[in-house]
Amino acid sequence: MRYPKRLGRLSAAMLLATAVAACGGGTEASAPKAPATIPELTKDPLTLSFIWFEWPPAQALEAFANAEYTKDRPNVTIKVNTVPNANWHDAIFTQFAAHKTDFDIPILDSQHIGEAVTNGNIVDITDFVKQNIDVNAYNPYLLAAYGQFPQAETGKRDENASLYGLPLLGDTWTMIYRKDLIGDKPPQTWDEMIAAAAKCQADNPGVSGLAFHQANGSDAAAVTYNTVNGVYGGNLWDPKTRKIEGVLNDAAGQEAMDVLVNKMKPLTATGSGNWFIDEVNAAVAQGKACIAFNWIAASGGLLDPKQSTLGTTREEILGKLGFATLPSQKTNLVPLGGMGMHVSAYSSEANQAEALNFMKWFQQADIQKKWAAAGGVPSRTDALESPEFLNAGPFNKVYADSVPRMRDMWNVPEYARLVDIENTNVNAALNGAETPKDALNDIAKEQQAVLDSSGSKGGGGL
Amino acid sequence: MSDPVPLTTDHPGQVASATPPAPGWSRRLSDRWLTVAFISPALLLLLAMSVFPLLWALYLSFTDYSATRGGSAHFVWFENYTAILTSAQVHQRALTTLIYVVGAVTLQTVLGFTIAYLISRRTHGRGLLTTLFLIPMMLSPVVVGLFWRFMLDAQFGVINSMLGSLGLGQVEWLTRQQTALISLILVDTWQWTPFIMLIALAGLTAVPKYLYEAASIDRASEWFRFRTITLPLVWPLLLIAVLFRAIEAFRLFELVYILTSGGPGVSTETLSFHVYKVAFLGFNTGTASAYGILMVLIVIVLTQLYLRYLNKLKED
Repeated sequence: MRYPKRLGRLSAAMLLATAVAACGGGTEASAPKAPATIPELTKDPLTLSFIWFEWPPAQALEAFANAEYTKDRPNVTIKVNTVPNANWHDAIFTQFAAHKTDFDIPILDSQHIGEAVTNGNIVDITDFVKQNIDVNAYNPYLLAAYGQFPQAETGKRDENASLYGLPLLGDTWTMIYRKDLIGDKPPQTWDEMIAAAAKCQADNPGVSGLAFHQANGSDAAAVTYNTVNGVYGGNLWDPKTRKIEGVLNDAAGQEAMDVLVNKMKPLTATGSGNWFIDEVNAAVAQGKACIAFNWIAASGGLLDPKQSTLGTTREEILGKLGFATLPSQKTNLVPLGGMGMHVSAYSSEANQAEALNFMKWFQQADIQKKWAAAGGVPSRTDALESPEFLNAGPFNKVYADSVPRMRDMWNVPEYARLVDIENTNVNAALNGAETPKDALNDIAKEQQAVLDSSGSKGGGGL
Repeated sequence: MSDPVPLTTDHPGQVASATPPAPGWSRRLSDRWLTVAFISPALLLLLAMSVFPLLWALYLSFTDYSATRGGSAHFVWFENYTAILTSAQVHQRALTTLIYVVGAVTLQTVLGFTIAYLISRRTHGRGLLTTLFLIPMMLSPVVVGLFWRFMLDAQFGVINSMLGSLGLGQVEWLTRQQTALISLILVDTWQWTPFIMLIALAGLTAVPKYLYEAASIDRASEWFRFRTITLPLVWPLLLIAVLFRAIEAFRLFELVYILTSGGPGVSTETLSFHVYKVAFLGFNTGTASAYGILMVLIVIVLTQLYLRYLNKLKED
C-alpha cells in the first residue's frame, strides 16, 4: 500500500522541520549591555512584571510601586508575580532557558547572578549605573553583593568589575529571643547563646531552646551551617584557587559543624528537621521557642497579634520578644540575605527601558526612605540611617548594625548544585542520617568535584 | 410496482457506493485525502507532544547540551549513559526507588484486594462504599502531599496529637531516615489502594456465580473456594493493576517533592526526583535526557517481561 508510506514520509518531514526549528535556538551566551542613558519611554499602557517568591515583601513591593511609581509614570502598572520559594530558581531559569520570559525584572538571589550572567540571561548595566546611580551612597559591599560579577571579596567592591543588578531588598538573620524567659539583654557570644537556650529549655517545659532553618529545600540548612561556619572562623572556599576541599572542612569548619549538630540541634523541637522560615516563625509566635533565628524580611508577621499567642497587642508582643544582631564568637560575621533586581535580556525594548527607569527611580534617596516606611529594607546608607527606616520595625536597627558584618556564599554559575550538596548533607547531619564529620567531608568533596568538573563532557550534574 | 428498497444491508460499504459523491467533491477531496484530513490533527498532536520530545530527548542524551548555557550541543556519544550507570548516587536512588515500589505496591495490592473482597460479599451499600473508598484517588497528589505534610508534622500534626492522647510518644515521620520512606509508602498507599480495589472488584464481580454454587453443593470450605475459584480468576486482572501501579510508583515525584524534598539528606530521593535535580539545578540537559531515556527503557523491558508472564498465565 502506498498510503501509509506517504503518511510516514509526511510525519518524518514534520519531525525534521520541528527538529531544525528547535536546533535554531542554540546561540552562544553573552550578557547584552544596557545603554548608559535610558531610552525614550513609551506613553502607551505598559505592565512592568517582576518575578519573586511568595512572601510578604513581594506584596509590599507591588503595593508600594503601584502607589508611588505610577505618580511619575501613570501609564505603567507594576505586577509582582510570585512562585513558591522552593521553585524560585527553577521558575526563573526555565524561562531563561526558553529565551523568552514573562517577566521584565527577575529578582535574583545574589548567588544566582553568576549563572544568569554566564548564560547571558540578564543585562549588563555597568554603563547605566555609572551614568544614573550615585554609587557612593551605598556601602560598597551591598552594591557589589547584589550586582557585581565576578563576585566581590567579602566587605568590598571591585570598581572595575561589571554590574548586572541593583539592590532591591536588603536582609540578614536576626536573633529573636524571649525577653520574658531569658532576660532583656541578648546573649553576646555564640557560647552564651547556647547556654541561655539550654537553661531556658530546662526551666520551661514545652518550650524548646532554639529554632532555626534545617530543611533540605531551597538554601535553608546550608545558610544555617554557613552562618555557624562564619561565626567560628571558617571559610566556605578560597575563591582565588577555587578550592573547597581542605578549606570548608578544616578545623574551624569541623568545629562549626560539631557545634551545630551536637550543641544546637539537641535544643530544637522534636521533628524540626524540616523547618524553614514559616515553621520557625510559627514556633516563635506560638511561644514554643526561647531563641530563634530568621530572616529579618520575614519577621514582620511576628508582631501581628492575629498570628501570635504572645500578646493581644503589638506592644504586648514586643514586651516578650526581643530582636538582636547575631552573637559573635571567633568572628562577628552574619549571612547576607536579600535580593537584587535585574533586567531580563529577553524583554522587549520598551519594557527594558521602563525597567531601567524603574531602577533609577527606586534608588533615589527619598524613594528608598518611602520603601523603608512601606516595610522594605533599603540599601542606601542615608535610608538605612533614616528615622523612617529605623522606626518602621524593631528589627530594622538589627539590619543597619549588621551591614558591615555581612558575608555571602559563592555566586558562581554552579551555585544551584553547590547549595543543593550543602543543603542535603547538613540536613542529613541534623537529622541523624550522617555523622557531622562525614557530612562536612562529603560536602567538601562533592562541591570540589562540581567546581573541578565545570566544562567536562558527559555525565555533568551527577 | 418496483421492488421495495431495503432499509438495511449486511454490507454497509455497499450503501456508501450506492450513493456516489458529488462530481466536484470527488476531484478535490478523495476518500484518501479525507482520511488524511481527519487523522492529521491527532497525528500532529501525537508527533508534537509525544514522538518529537522523545526523539529530541534521545538526541540530547548523546550530547553535553545545557538548556541554559546555550551554544551548540557537542556529541559525547555514550558518556552520559556510562556516567549514569556507574554512578554511586544513581545506584542509591535506584535502591530507594525499588524499596518504595515494592513496599507501596505490595501493601496496596494486599489492602486493595482485601477491601474489594469484603465489599464484593456485601449485598447492601456496595455502591456507596465503593464511591467512598475511591475519593482519595480523585485528589491531586500535590494536595494529598500537602495535607499529609501537615498531618504528619511532628509538632503540630494531628497524627502525633492522636498518638499523644493514646499515651504514645512523638514520631518524627518525615525527618528520620527510618520513618521518612515508610511515611511516603503509607501516604501513597492511602491514595492508590482504591485503584487496586476497583480493578479487583471488577474481577470479583465477574466470577460466575455457578462456580460457587457448584462448590457449595460439594461442601467446599470458604478457604478452598477462595483458593481454587476466586483467586485464580481474579489474579490476571489484579496483575494488570499491579503493573499500572508499579509503573506509576516507579516515577514517583510529587509526594517526595512535597513531603520530604528527598530528605533527610537524600534518603528518600527517588530516581525521578534525582532526574529533576540533574535537569533543573544544574541544567545538565544532556545527562538528564539520558537518565530519562534509561528510565523509560527500564519500564519498557520490565513491562514486556511482565506481559509475557501474563500471556503465559492466560495460556495455562
